[in-house]
Amino acid sequence: MSSPVTHHAVHAAPKGFLRRYIFSTDHKVIGKQYYLLALFSVFVGMLLSVLMRYHMIYPDAKVSWFEKLWPTGAAGGIMTPELYLSLMTMHGTIMVFFVLTTAPQSGFGNYFLPLQIGAEDMAFPVINMLSFWTTFAALVVLLAAFFVPGGAPLSGWTAYPPLSAVGEIAGPGQGTGQTLWILSIALFCAASLMGAINFIATTIDLRAKGMTLMRMPLTCWAWFVTAILSLLGFAVLLAAGILLLLDRTAGTSFFLPAGLVVNDQILNHKGGSPLLWQHLFWFFGHPEVYIAILPGMGLTSTVLSVFARKPIFGYRAMVYAILAIGFLGFLVWGHHMFVSGMNPYTGIAFSVLTMAIGVPSAIKTFNWIGTLWGARIRFTTPMLFALGFVSLFVTGGISGIFLGQPALDLYLHDTYFVVGHFHMIMGVAAIFGIFAGTYYWFPKMYGRMMNETLGKIHFYLTFIGVYAIFTPMHFVGVAGNPRRYPNFKEFEFLGELLPVHTFMTHAAFFTAAAQLIFLFNFFWSMKKGAKAPVNPWEATTLEWTVPSPPPHDNFGGRLPEVYRGAYEYSVPGAEKDYLMQNEPAVAVKE
Amino acid sequence: MAEARSETLVPASAWGGGASPFAMNSKKLGMWLFIISDALTFSALLVAYTYLRLATPNWPTPFHFSPSILFASLMTFVLLSSSLTMVMGVHAMNHGHRRRAVGWILATMAGGAAFVILHATEWRHLIVDEGVTPFSNPWNEPLFGATFFALTGLHMTHVIVGVLYLGVIAIGVGRGKFKPEDVEVSGLYWHFVDLVWMFIFPLVYLMSVHI
Amino acid sequence: MQAHSEQAIAVTAKTFVWVWVALLAMTVVEVLLAYFHVPLLLMLTALMGLSVIKGALIIAYFMHLKFERFSLFLTLFPMLIFCILLLFIFMPDSFRLMELRPR
Repeated sequence: MSSPVTHHAVHAAPKGFLRRYIFSTDHKVIGKQYYLLALFSVFVGMLLSVLMRYHMIYPDAKVSWFEKLWPTGAAGGIMTPELYLSLMTMHGTIMVFFVLTTAPQSGFGNYFLPLQIGAEDMAFPVINMLSFWTTFAALVVLLAAFFVPGGAPLSGWTAYPPLSAVGEIAGPGQGTGQTLWILSIALFCAASLMGAINFIATTIDLRAKGMTLMRMPLTCWAWFVTAILSLLGFAVLLAAGILLLLDRTAGTSFFLPAGLVVNDQILNHKGGSPLLWQHLFWFFGHPEVYIAILPGMGLTSTVLSVFARKPIFGYRAMVYAILAIGFLGFLVWGHHMFVSGMNPYTGIAFSVLTMAIGVPSAIKTFNWIGTLWGARIRFTTPMLFALGFVSLFVTGGISGIFLGQPALDLYLHDTYFVVGHFHMIMGVAAIFGIFAGTYYWFPKMYGRMMNETLGKIHFYLTFIGVYAIFTPMHFVGVAGNPRRYPNFKEFEFLGELLPVHTFMTHAAFFTAAAQLIFLFNFFWSMKKGAKAPVNPWEATTLEWTVPSPPPHDNFGGRLPEVYRGAYEYSVPGAEKDYLMQNEPAVAVKE
Repeated sequence: MAEARSETLVPASAWGGGASPFAMNSKKLGMWLFIISDALTFSALLVAYTYLRLATPNWPTPFHFSPSILFASLMTFVLLSSSLTMVMGVHAMNHGHRRRAVGWILATMAGGAAFVILHATEWRHLIVDEGVTPFSNPWNEPLFGATFFALTGLHMTHVIVGVLYLGVIAIGVGRGKFKPEDVEVSGLYWHFVDLVWMFIFPLVYLMSVHI
Repeated sequence: MQAHSEQAIAVTAKTFVWVWVALLAMTVVEVLLAYFHVPLLLMLTALMGLSVIKGALIIAYFMHLKFERFSLFLTLFPMLIFCILLLFIFMPDSFRLMELRPR
């Protein structure tokens, strides 16, 4: 009853620059393309955040090149509140979609999923290529919003209607800019759908002989569950996006209630509900948080185990925790809507379920600590970033428990507390996961080692920097500082908080500057780094059995056979202290 | 450590590799996954429609038996029949009758095209004769037209894409290129389009019948 | 490929025609039902019930799911049905919205 799976990747390395590096169907090239796209995006996004932080403490400063960049938004060199909001929107959208969703899942996942499960390529190489180029088109469309009349949209990465639905009347960026935003997100939905189908089919069908599900590295589990979340989450976002697009272009009123007055004009809409958008958006939006963080969790598990030289503590518990987080991630979207007029009874249910997510999260955290317990840790750069991930995940997770209570959320929701919370857990923790992945896998991707000294300097500066930026945000939030305000100086009651903001802004400059070390290290090591051996970290998973970088067909035409789980370190009596997944016999010295 | 040791002794035959656990090729699994995702998109739209309709006190029920319900019933008949011809096409292809399979696929495409033409006529009737558009209608509940055109429009887009997709398949099969599994995968998509209509037809048309 | 021909033997063209007839019959019932004066909720339940049966027939026979491994069904449908059910959590807000509307 079994039909053989056709080997999709039996193809010779293509010739010609275009087929080889641009429109390549090789998962390794596509993975790198995704990674570089995310690298470009993260620096654009970071630049926007630095500009915002600058504006917050110097709202009246005249900067001549602001005017050159945004002739209307910064006439005379002074940033308008609308420009500030458009920077905020673009920062959020770029970071969430094109960095946090793209780098860990599409970037690393594409490159290392086939290698780790012992496959020659993804299940659908051509769809994989289309998926990347659709993502690329989505990014181009999004960035184009900066250059159209009116500029970029103002409605945040969540694009709440009525603001996002009523059009130009609501502000300069709400015309063409907002329409481009929705088109970009729709394209991104299509790309993510293609990617998700590819990841799921690959994981199910193309595992090498002996690679049972319970022998997969936790990274593969994380990518697999993330792909399922993408498959379901982006489907709902697409539906919401279609309705919002119709509201803007076809004059419908899905999200627009009657009697709406914008800029002294009564709008001719009737019957719609802004709350409907919030439901549809967050139905996607909360799983999206886990889409961003789950690959980081998988990678952290692997990296901790490799550099602690111990098996991961509770492998099965870790797998079940990933599944539980993925499952519960769909049940809690309402905790984003406690203050939006949702039914209070629903709110309580969402609050309880939100607390429940603490259980699998705590299982993961304790297992990470259990892995480290009593270990002789090798403090390499990827290990430092993985430890940083655990730290940030705990910090951000605990503030999440505050926000999960409707009573507290009523007060904290529109303050900087929320900004601090989600930057800690979704922003910086996930970014630390990406950094850990970069330092860990760079030798395999580019065949050269990254500079360890620069890497460690980068880690310590970044680690201190992000805590310096985001910890004070919780305090100013509790003190009542609203978020999304471009200019605090207009409000007397916020005056005392200004020194804290000044500190955060300087910390942001400092941290942003530290990222240049990473950028230098990345490109310098690509050309000048020490040649990487096959298995520089003495890790057990299959990607470390092939040359660095791997050949076009990954395993040289002979697919590996797997005999054991992915975390066999400190094996008693073994010749080395670890056993690769494809080592058949246990070499035991009695 | 003892557990880790015993784990290593499990033979590699636990998972043979090289075959799908579902005993189907990856393309088919990929199409199933796409269908699950697309089904959720349609579900979200139908739930949004239900949400908005429930919140509106006097939702209009304007569809007369002729032409709207008659047309919609006819369209259902056409679409169901095209599913039957599609399944016959897959059946013929599995038994190695290429020419017969092409005939069935062409019949399916004809069904799809008939569906689109009937639907376009029905749209024209609503827009021109009844004055229903996405943003206004005689009953002053603009969301009636908005939900109607959004749901049926997205479905019609799927039908048109399906007809084009089947066209590619028909040409390929006719030239002796595609395998039976390719026909089967396109069949899955076509039946899914049919399936979605089974929910849109009662929710959009039959729940708004003018009695 | 062998798997497919095995399945195909299990189902003959006759089965498909009967499924098609059943689907048409249920459609006729649905259309007739729409002209009965029954309470809205009852009508909605009846229509959706019939549609779910029709959908199940299409999935089971036309889409061959009945003849695939059961694990495929378990992989795909629980997550879809679960998500669709979750979407109904929107509804309490819809009812509240109606209560808040001016009449």
